[in-house]
Amino acid sequence: MKQIIASLLAVFLTAVSAPSVALAQSGPLRIEITEGVIEPLPYAVPDFVAESAGGQQLAQQIARVVAEDLTGTGLFREVPREAHISQITSFGSPVQFADWKAINAQALITGAVSSEGGRVVVKFRVWDVFAGTELGQGMQFAGTADGWRRMAHKVADQVYSRITGESGYFDSRVVFVSESGPKDQRAKRLAVMDYDGANVQYLTGGNALVLAPRFSEDGQRVLYTSYETGMPRVHVLEVGTVQSRILQGQDGVMSFAPRFAPNGQTVVYSLTQGSNTDIWAMDIASGGSRQLTSAPSIETAPSYSPDGSQIVFESDRSGTQQLYVMSASGGEARRISFGQGRYSTPVWSPRGDMIAFTKQNAGRFHIGVMRTDGSEERLLTASFLDEGPTWAPNGRVIMFARETQGAQGSSSLYTVDISGRNLKRVRTPEGASDPSWGPLQ
Amino acid sequence: MHTGHYISGGAHGILILWALFGGMFRSDPPDVQVADVSVISEAQFAAMMQPQAAPTLGSEPTALPQPDIEEQPPEPPAAEVQPVQTPEPVEPEVSEPDPVPQPVTPTPEPEVVETLPQPPAPEPVPEVDAPEVALRPIPRPAPRVAPEAVPEPAPEADIAPDVQETVEQSETPDVTESEEQQATAPEAAATEIVTEAEEPARAPSASVRPQARPNRPAPTPPQTAEAPSEPASTPPAEAEPEPQQDTAAADATASAIADALEEALSGASTGTTSGPPLTQGETDGFRIAVQDCWVVDVGSQAADVTVTVGFEMDRSGRVVSSSLRLLSSEGGSGTAVDTAFQAARRAILRCQGDGYSLPPEKFDQWKAVEMTFNPESMRIR
Repeated sequence: MKQIIASLLAVFLTAVSAPSVALAQSGPLRIEITEGVIEPLPYAVPDFVAESAGGQQLAQQIARVVAEDLTGTGLFREVPREAHISQITSFGSPVQFADWKAINAQALITGAVSSEGGRVVVKFRVWDVFAGTELGQGMQFAGTADGWRRMAHKVADQVYSRITGESGYFDSRVVFVSESGPKDQRAKRLAVMDYDGANVQYLTGGNALVLAPRFSEDGQRVLYTSYETGMPRVHVLEVGTVQSRILQGQDGVMSFAPRFAPNGQTVVYSLTQGSNTDIWAMDIASGGSRQLTSAPSIETAPSYSPDGSQIVFESDRSGTQQLYVMSASGGEARRISFGQGRYSTPVWSPRGDMIAFTKQNAGRFHIGVMRTDGSEERLLTASFLDEGPTWAPNGRVIMFARETQGAQGSSSLYTVDISGRNLKRVRTPEGASDPSWGPLQ
Repeated sequence: MHTGHYISGGAHGILILWALFGGMFRSDPPDVQVADVSVISEAQFAAMMQPQAAPTLGSEPTALPQPDIEEQPPEPPAAEVQPVQTPEPVEPEVSEPDPVPQPVTPTPEPEVVETLPQPPAPEPVPEVDAPEVALRPIPRPAPRVAPEAVPEPAPEADIAPDVQETVEQSETPDVTESEEQQATAPEAAATEIVTEAEEPARAPSASVRPQARPNRPAPTPPQTAEAPSEPASTPPAEAEPEPQQDTAAADATASAIADALEEALSGASTGTTSGPPLTQGETDGFRIAVQDCWVVDVGSQAADVTVTVGFEMDRSGRVVSSSLRLLSSEGGSGTAVDTAFQAARRAILRCQGDGYSLPPEKFDQWKAVEMTFNPESMRIR
């Protein structure tokens, strides 16, 4: 009986709602997607078109550097040229999108190079193949022939920016310590190179031990620690003229671990007096300095936040090396690292959202990142000795030094994406350590 | 008479004597090496067993005397003398001096940055039979991270969404002919990013693939509601239903009433579309097809943005490209929102192929779509 009543009720309700039930769905079909894939985006970059007689080789070289830049990020994968169906023979010709779709190229880069009287002009366009539209507008760069690599890097920066929506880092330089000789008699010199290891130029001779170079925000000056006088002293060097001077002239005092403030006018560094090491800040123009920490422990490796309002540093005030954040004017510091092991050399990301650090735990060294409040700690690398992280100007990639074990061990530079993917070595002519990534030029 | 006995006895006696003294019963001497020994005294033994002192070496190794070798001039050539090639002067090898730092010459700044005029529009391209997704000619490491793990495909297999065994033309005529097909397999993928600092074992190399989506049901006449159909399907002629079935039927009835009530109430809202609703399987199939092409850059700021994209589709299941639009976004800056929208748009367009597999009879249900791309769960991989 109950069933009959229930069935009748159901039929009644159905009849009542019939006009609306016929319209079973309200509005458009709604779907939420929470899972995607993480993989490099396939793109194609055919050789650029040579628009002048002598430009053929340059056109090929520029296209190859653009491809190396993009593929080197790990975010893009080049579709080999052997797979291309279409050939780009004229920069102005319409693109046959179907041919590029067929080889699954999602982005296409076309370009042309003309060279006349030592002056080179590079033009390029970026295409969204599946949408059949151009990404942004075509651009051209002009310069001298010996600046072709920079022009290629600039093209790659533009492509990267248009696809990812973030600025690139290819037209940037890195200052580092170049190392040669055996481990116990290693000569160290300051050197500067393109981000990819090309165009190495030396800034100091090998007669004095140099450590921890740091680029200024504009890339024109370098701070570093030198043992030229027998004591570690902070020097500042003008990159253009290779002229350097001691920044802190107080005798009998060790100063080290310098870093520029974002404004370029202030330098923060460590200073040892007696057995105590504290962090100080100095105005470069006036030479006036002030003490920022006063704990009876070792405070060092300070690094400014991008807005210059805070400083992250390492301290052993809790018994082991940990990371702390304080106001740029000093005062109370709050601890942000609480994991096992020892944390050191913190560096604030140019984006301002993360801090990179070196961590030593269980006999291994790691490069890691964490949020500025210490949350979401993630270790990206592990080896016998990894240290000294530095951020790419867009805050996407970290470069660091890795030393191999043993008497014959040597130091090299590596880069890794902040997701932990795409770990790779930077080619340098000699051993290299202590990198500092400069700004986008 | 006894002569025979004397002869026999004498002969036997000779034989016995020969056997005894002739060597018949003498064994060969054993093959033993015999060493001469001598007896020594205890003092001599103690003197012998004393450790020998190591030979004393000079502190500096002395050079071995060189053998006196007299250089003999070579025999002059008997035949005609060839003119001797004067060797090129060899630059003496000089060790590179410590490089003196030179002023760093900055690479010339590219001076002009101009935007170029719009290129001509491409001419309409005739339809070609090229595959929508190209085959990757060169195998590469698998940096792909996907919702489900996929093992490394066989080296000879092409990358494709589905697994396909190689099918070759059979040479035997009596076997049913089958179309020749190249083996395909999905690209290898892990379910999470494994950094160098993490144990590789944490990332599963493979997992069981979900079951294939059920076949599309045959078109059925539009139903006014799903709920009442279930009780109606119960055979009325069943005289004595089992108690268990009775309970199930009662539950189904109650559920149907609730559903009908809910639908009746919700149906009061405006803007509804007609036609039977998509089944869960059909919706999931559509979702999975798009998510396989949604590439998330987990390190970018766009990974902090959730976007909702609206678009329309034609009856063949193809997206009307011009209808793709950003409806809303959550989190991130303007640039990051735009990047997230572009990634979503690429996913929708790239995976449609010849059109998404959706039931044509339910076109009214999917002709307009709002798709939300939420990368929150991807960020923590």
